[in-house]
Amino acid sequence: MAGAWRNPLYLWDVEGAEEEIPATPYASPQRVWDEARESKTPMLPVGRLRYYYKWPGHGGALWSRLRYWPTRRRVLNIRGEYNPKTLRREKTIVDKRPIWWALGLLAFMLAPLIMPGGYQNTLLAAGATFSIYAAINLCWMLIIGTAGIYSLASYAVVGAAAFGVSWMSIHLGLPWWALPFVGAGLGLVFGVIIAIPAIRLDGFYYALLTIGLNELCRVYTLQSKQFGSSTGGLYGADSYVPDSWDPFDQQLLSYYACFGLLLLALALYRIIDGRRLGRILKMAPEKREAFAEATGVDYRRARVWVFVVSSVGLGFIGGFYASHYRGVSFSIFGFDTVLLGLAMLVIGGIGRAEGAVVGTAIVIFLDKVMISTGPLRLVLIGLIMLAVVLLLKGGLFGIKAQFRAWRDKKKSERRSIRSEKGGEMLPEEAAETKDKDVLYWRRYDKMQRDFLKTLVSEEVIEEHRKQPLGQHSEPLERLLLYFRRQPLGDKYAITVVQPFKAYRIVAMSGQRGVAPRIVEDKIYASQNEAYHGVFLRRVQDLLES
Amino acid sequence: MAQIKLFGYASKISTKPGETIDIHVSADGATEAEAKLVRLIHGDEHPDGPGFMEEEVACEADGRWAVRKQYTQVGSYLEVADPDAKLALDGPITLFAFTYVGLPEAGLRQCLLGRWNNDKNFGYCLGVNQRGHFEFWVGQGSEVDYVQAEAPIVAKIWYFVAATYDPATGRATIHQESVANRYNSLLGRVCPIDYRSHVSERFRFKPKHLADTPFLLAGSRDFHETRGHFVSETFCGKIDRPGVYNRALSRDELDAIRGGAAPKPDGLTAYWDTTAGYTDRGIGDEVIDVGPHGLNARGHNRPVRAQTGWNWSGRNDCFRLAPEEYGGVEFHYDQVVDSNWDVTRSVKLPDDLRSGCYAIRLRAGPGVGLSEEYVVFFVRPKTPKGKVALIFPTASYLAYANEHLSFDADIIQPMTGQPPIVSEIDVEMYKNWEFGMSTYDSWADGNGVCYSSYRRPILNMRPKHRMSSMGVTWAFPADLSILAWLEHKGYDYDVMTDEDVHIDGLDAMKPYACVLTGTHPEYYSERMLDATEDYIEGGGRFIYMGGNGLYWNVAFREEEPWVMEVRKLDSGMRAWAARPGEHYLATTGQKSGLWKNLGRPPQKTVGVGFIGEGFETSRPYRRMPDSYHRTVSWMMEGIEGEIIGDFGLAYGGAAGLELDRYDLRYGTPPHARIIASSGGHSDNYMLSIEEILYPYPGLAGSQDYRLRSDLVYFTAPNDGAVFSTGSIAFGQALPCANFDNNVSKLLANLVDAFIKPGRLPGSLWVSEEKQWK
Repeated sequence: MAGAWRNPLYLWDVEGAEEEIPATPYASPQRVWDEARESKTPMLPVGRLRYYYKWPGHGGALWSRLRYWPTRRRVLNIRGEYNPKTLRREKTIVDKRPIWWALGLLAFMLAPLIMPGGYQNTLLAAGATFSIYAAINLCWMLIIGTAGIYSLASYAVVGAAAFGVSWMSIHLGLPWWALPFVGAGLGLVFGVIIAIPAIRLDGFYYALLTIGLNELCRVYTLQSKQFGSSTGGLYGADSYVPDSWDPFDQQLLSYYACFGLLLLALALYRIIDGRRLGRILKMAPEKREAFAEATGVDYRRARVWVFVVSSVGLGFIGGFYASHYRGVSFSIFGFDTVLLGLAMLVIGGIGRAEGAVVGTAIVIFLDKVMISTGPLRLVLIGLIMLAVVLLLKGGLFGIKAQFRAWRDKKKSERRSIRSEKGGEMLPEEAAETKDKDVLYWRRYDKMQRDFLKTLVSEEVIEEHRKQPLGQHSEPLERLLLYFRRQPLGDKYAITVVQPFKAYRIVAMSGQRGVAPRIVEDKIYASQNEAYHGVFLRRVQDLLES
Repeated sequence: MAQIKLFGYASKISTKPGETIDIHVSADGATEAEAKLVRLIHGDEHPDGPGFMEEEVACEADGRWAVRKQYTQVGSYLEVADPDAKLALDGPITLFAFTYVGLPEAGLRQCLLGRWNNDKNFGYCLGVNQRGHFEFWVGQGSEVDYVQAEAPIVAKIWYFVAATYDPATGRATIHQESVANRYNSLLGRVCPIDYRSHVSERFRFKPKHLADTPFLLAGSRDFHETRGHFVSETFCGKIDRPGVYNRALSRDELDAIRGGAAPKPDGLTAYWDTTAGYTDRGIGDEVIDVGPHGLNARGHNRPVRAQTGWNWSGRNDCFRLAPEEYGGVEFHYDQVVDSNWDVTRSVKLPDDLRSGCYAIRLRAGPGVGLSEEYVVFFVRPKTPKGKVALIFPTASYLAYANEHLSFDADIIQPMTGQPPIVSEIDVEMYKNWEFGMSTYDSWADGNGVCYSSYRRPILNMRPKHRMSSMGVTWAFPADLSILAWLEHKGYDYDVMTDEDVHIDGLDAMKPYACVLTGTHPEYYSERMLDATEDYIEGGGRFIYMGGNGLYWNVAFREEEPWVMEVRKLDSGMRAWAARPGEHYLATTGQKSGLWKNLGRPPQKTVGVGFIGEGFETSRPYRRMPDSYHRTVSWMMEGIEGEIIGDFGLAYGGAAGLELDRYDLRYGTPPHARIIASSGGHSDNYMLSIEEILYPYPGLAGSQDYRLRSDLVYFTAPNDGAVFSTGSIAFGQALPCANFDNNVSKLLANLVDAFIKPGRLPGSLWVSEEKQWK
């Protein structure tokens, strides 16, 4: 009989069991299966060719791993895993940076051997300058990247130390080997002084303050006779380069001495950023400081420490700078120097050592090696910086992550265009699903919903309203069975506000130990009303899916 | 101010007047709570019944109690008694174990064995790291050195894992090999997986030790300033026959151990033979060290013994047959058996306390919901004097203690046919791992919970509690409806618990003319079943007031009756299924599972047995033709019409929730009569699984005649008799209309007859019928 349902429990005189109620005519649940003969979206082939070599596991052989003495860090961070497609044991180098660093530094070391004769002077000088600037930028990166303090006074610290030691070398006869250490002491004093306002001032205001400080140093030295206002700088400091050597040897010595300085700066960066201080600060990134503080991270103290230690490093570099150039000029305090330095950091990418070094290399190459192109090179630097700021999120070394994020965005866009919401999985989604049973569940669930949607009617809702529990007509029973069998995540339930008087609808978490969440404010006056409220929400979710 | 929460438990569940009972309380957000001894009378707040009823009783402990926050150790582990610090090795070390990791991808560090201080980073340990690899690490306080195996652990595979350390060379090596055979692990040989890994690194320092660090299996020492020492980094999985050497073993020596050879004594510091000390009657918590120093380990939170070991061959199905194949000790990082709280107050109960169900009512702040707590216990008389006894099925309370079904079980909504109704207390219980779980839940690694105890707050063994998945009272609060009925009718009654029946056996029941069960005495030990059978045989009159009773075989240890063990297997309505080979109770060596499958179906004792369950409607009974026979018709006196119990606090009927029926095939006594039967159950009522050999459409209430509850009566030797209700909802129908209803009348007729000594009514109407009609 179409359009009606007879309750089998009617004869038993079950409460609420009406003999016959209006119901949707019977529809076969197999129809949706018969109609679905192929996917609505094209199933594109997936799979990526293994065109490169992948190390197998060691199997039964002993793998002796090497570490960087005296740390517990392994030379390469290698992950052993099973290939999910074949279960073959494989090894992946998780972090390839040590390889690139080793190759890069080796190349820099061997570069003088292959420099073309004509450019040797320029290149060696540029190399030395690069190393010094890279060292300064590494310390600066610690302040901006690791500590997150927007200080623009790094060159001021270098300059102040350089001026101080030059003066001491000229007037007190300080030997060249003492200059970096005395410089470090000056850096410490300077660092402590600049660090004090950093405790109170944030971001932009601190940057302003440090710019002011930079300018103050410049104006002071420019006007001070003591510091050579007449000669454009203070010159005549003792140098580590023996005058007696021939110019090429001198240049080679300074090239490698500066390279040594760079290595020291890299070591400092690694020690600060990669160890306790750096880790503390990574737990307290910008805008999440309050949270970190609440969990017991004393990030202010760590920031000031990083600042002070970096300033000591900058002072040391200042001392070295003076003994390298036999003095120092006012230009170190120049605004253009600060901007050029900032360009180096930004181009490479804030917060990473390779960013500071490669950014420096690019800018120095343009500035010092391409000197023949004249002022155009500065425009070029400006353009690169502009492009980096406009297009890249994390400088050159952020390109990889940015590319991946962009690829993921494109991927999900494409998928969302092709796939139906809650429908059959695409081959590319299937490849990412560990439990292949889920693939079939998705198909089954889709079929069920397609069918069940056709069962929702006024009659069914009215039937449920009258009697939420108990024997129901076939269409309602099918709907309820489907609803009840949904996974627990976000599944509706009821919570007691007041027993037998007030109830509310919540949704389960589906995660162990996580409480259900409230989904609406509405209060239901009885259990039956709350059951019906849950039913209506479930029906709505079904129709919307 | 923090939300006020009070939780407590009593160290024993059954006590007598004048005895002292220890109450353990933990409080959040309060330092004082108002305590009052109360007698609990009715526990269901359903508006159709009398509502919640309690009676305040004077007690020396009434008044303000100082309370504080108490902590519970979560996770099972073994602690080694090592007073001479033999295991504080700072020279060469070898650690080895067979292990089966349940949750390598938990993302948490899990320790297998070691003397490790997690708070201060001292010692050494072999374990599973956050990335799911085996790892060996040593600490000197300021720093820790690690060596990690190359291949990630595959879950539920037996491995042999070992770590060696030689301070002379600084070499630390970790070895991992699979010992999976055709039976013991998840994956078979067809999987092209290479499980092996051997990795070596040079450590920078030797381990240093703190004097008080214990050597633990499946955990490490930790510290919290308000809590003191506790164990963290607990483990999910099995460990079999671990050991420690004070020298670095060669690969060949390790291979020999992996092959099953006994470890050579040269340099052996400890070797815990997890299969030693097994008896035919069960296994304790002591794991024996057969090494030179006898450093035995003791289990905390009941690590599960009697589990299949690394060398389980599949031929033997019980630890009694082949103990050497049953060395697996299973741990769970979310297992809680005993809260071990400090005693808040020892309460001396009044000498003149009448037998009943009591609670220490604690209130702080608003005193409702979470800020009100009833610490429930039962008081037996000093000497039995009542005629009637009500047995509170405390074994079932343990089985359902703090069940998480509404929150964790996908099956629960289709089963109960309704969305759950959770209270703030349920949510608190779910959020806090410290309350442990019920035998209806699974530990995080998916294995079923086989131990439950009452030495922890049981939030559903409380008056007023309603089972969230069903929207009705269940077990304890439902059983109070029977007590309220006895109280209302003025019977001279005493109460006792399953624990008393288990410990005292027949002696507990013998003094009473009539014994009533609770609404759901589902979990029965052999001694309880024997006592019940003996009581009936000896002339006792037994009223089985429940449904799905006498169902699972469970076990208790003599010295620790507060912990119950059950293994769910083979068939039966079961929340989980024990793994192959693990079907025997570690507590007693008996096979667990259904009594029906052990040769003692409930029909054999009480005439009815489980047939099916449903949870959204209940039905009345209708008199059966046999009830007009004069041998039994006396129990219908004063009842008009044929319908009995078309009302009730559980879905409005006396036959509902779980149903039992008469079945000659399972040993219902041949002379038993069906007094009345329910019918017209909805399709939510489905046949129980052990009744189904082949499933086919139509095994539900509206299409299968077997789905019903039978009221069954039969006489027993020596003027004994049994009346069975065969329905959980029966007891919840008693309080309707202020106890004035036909279910109440029927039960009163029975109890009145049963407490009279001598012949039972109708017992002479037994001649062969020569009737004209």
